[in-house]
Amino acid sequence: MSTIQSLDKPLVIEPLASLLPRISIPSLGNLPARFGRIGLGIIFPLLLLYLWQIATERVWLPPQLLPEPAFVWETLVDMVSSGELAGHLAVSLQRVLWSVLIGGSIGLAIGFAMGLSKTAKAYLYPSFSLFSQFPVIAWSPLMIIFFGIDEALKISTITVAVIVPFAVATYKGIENVPVKLREVGQIYQFSFAQTLWRIALPAALPAILGGVRQGAMQAWLALVFVELLASSEGLGYLLVYARNLMQLDVVMVCMATIGLVGLIFDFALGFIERHFSRWAPKGR
Amino acid sequence: MKKFVSLIATALIAVGLPLAAQAQENPKTIRIAFSSAGVGGKPAAASGLLATAHQRGILEKEFAKDGIKVEWTFFVGAGPATNEALALKKIDFATQGDLPLVVARANGLRTRILLTDSRFSRNYVVVPTASTIQTLEDLRGKKITVQKGTAGQLTLNRLLTQVGLKESDLKVIDMISDSQKAALSTGDVDAAIQSSTDLVVRGLVRRIYKIEDPKLQAPSQVWVAEEFEAKYPHIVQRFVTALLRESVWAVDEKNRDELFRLWSKTGNPYSDYKEDFKGWALRDRLNPLIDEYYTSSLNKSIAEVKQFRFVRRDVTADGWIEPKYQQAALKELKLEGFWDEFDADGKRKKPAGK
Repeated sequence: MSTIQSLDKPLVIEPLASLLPRISIPSLGNLPARFGRIGLGIIFPLLLLYLWQIATERVWLPPQLLPEPAFVWETLVDMVSSGELAGHLAVSLQRVLWSVLIGGSIGLAIGFAMGLSKTAKAYLYPSFSLFSQFPVIAWSPLMIIFFGIDEALKISTITVAVIVPFAVATYKGIENVPVKLREVGQIYQFSFAQTLWRIALPAALPAILGGVRQGAMQAWLALVFVELLASSEGLGYLLVYARNLMQLDVVMVCMATIGLVGLIFDFALGFIERHFSRWAPKGR
Repeated sequence: MKKFVSLIATALIAVGLPLAAQAQENPKTIRIAFSSAGVGGKPAAASGLLATAHQRGILEKEFAKDGIKVEWTFFVGAGPATNEALALKKIDFATQGDLPLVVARANGLRTRILLTDSRFSRNYVVVPTASTIQTLEDLRGKKITVQKGTAGQLTLNRLLTQVGLKESDLKVIDMISDSQKAALSTGDVDAAIQSSTDLVVRGLVRRIYKIEDPKLQAPSQVWVAEEFEAKYPHIVQRFVTALLRESVWAVDEKNRDELFRLWSKTGNPYSDYKEDFKGWALRDRLNPLIDEYYTSSLNKSIAEVKQFRFVRRDVTADGWIEPKYQQAALKELKLEGFWDEFDADGKRKKPAGK
């Protein structure tokens, strides 16, 4: 009935259309306000958890391959209290830290060089563009030959993953320093160091921090891959080992930890990034 | 009245069961898995009764007349991969070492152990030739590689316990057998457990310890998935009987060279097997019996798997071994007493009166 009406008389749609938002938008609009985005974001995981519970109850997959949530929770508590999880996590974090320090320094250096000097850019940019095309996995065979299978392999492979986002962010950040600021520097006859320290760095900082955030995320993702290769400790290692012993509960705990730590990284670095963006110059 | 009804019911069941058993259904295929593969993943296995039957097509012959296909799978991922396949109901029979076997049971995978596939194998702790490692004690803090989750890892743990070490005192790196050889050759790892001779012959590795004590290594076994056994007991019987018939050929010393030649289809050199079996009667190594040595070894493995914390749930061997197929086959083939039984220490049991 109403459809016919609405088709015939477009006027009828108007009250309908204005009714709909009045009902839906205020309620939907209040929900994020009350619970924050986290509240809404948690619905999907909860649904997944429910599905998981149902799947294990009805044995859609063999319990050996899909342990029930309660058992995985038990394992998590077990691994946290025994310090096992913390031990592997510490090893993994250490690898990421070193890689971010080394890869970050190289990335910053390349980024600054390309951003500040046209000559450096002419020399570096083509090679760098090519370099940034390779995914970490493509590097691993070469890396194994050069660095063996020890810590050097892990750190160098993750480092490679870190360099590109750091360099790109730094380069873009400096390239986008407002011309006005540079001109002010020129008027005051700033030295190179002064230009770098007083103008380029503060102006580019938000962009660089964005690069730090991306780089750290890349490092975390690469880490898990690298630890699958040949290791005796770390989260990625634990993941494979547990699979070999059919401890899928441990596998799930590892995955949850990897996800959670990644999230914390992203959140913390995002927070720092936003903090420094506040005083970033907006004009060009 | 009630009694009468139950009597009739019992009688019906008594008559009906054998009838049902006669109207046996056959599976379309029998899926058999080896928890190993040849060099570079070649579809071949070695050193056991089932591997020999595979090479000689014995089971294909046995089941061809009923149009039952025999499918073979060779897992580079070894025992752990076999377990995943079992959980997904993709295999019916398999050979496996002790650690993945017990891990499977701890995780609720149901199998019945039918016979011993091979026993008393020899292995060595090897190190790159230039290494300073001389004894097991020297392994402390060193990098050793083993395929994790396989019987080799349990053997390593037993070895380390002997000299008061734990896995955590070393860096134990997970690698498949092919990678282990590569890593030993380049000196990327400090040690491995290997039986192969080729790296020794080429002067790349040195053997520092011979693993021969039957308490350090468990026999490998052939099992059937419980579901398959419940459904097709007659096929299981034919499978076991065919294997034992084949075993008579395999343990005949006349066939020693031929046997090693068949096994070398894995890509491992003939000399590996020749050396491994040196000083052994084939009949003792390829001994299918479920004897005292086998059962005590299984129980020991179960205890150790728990002790070394490879599983967290308890495992029991109750109802796991199913010797009836083997016994029926031995009887049918008139092979009772053909193989010697061994005791819990792996020593030959002297038959009474001899």
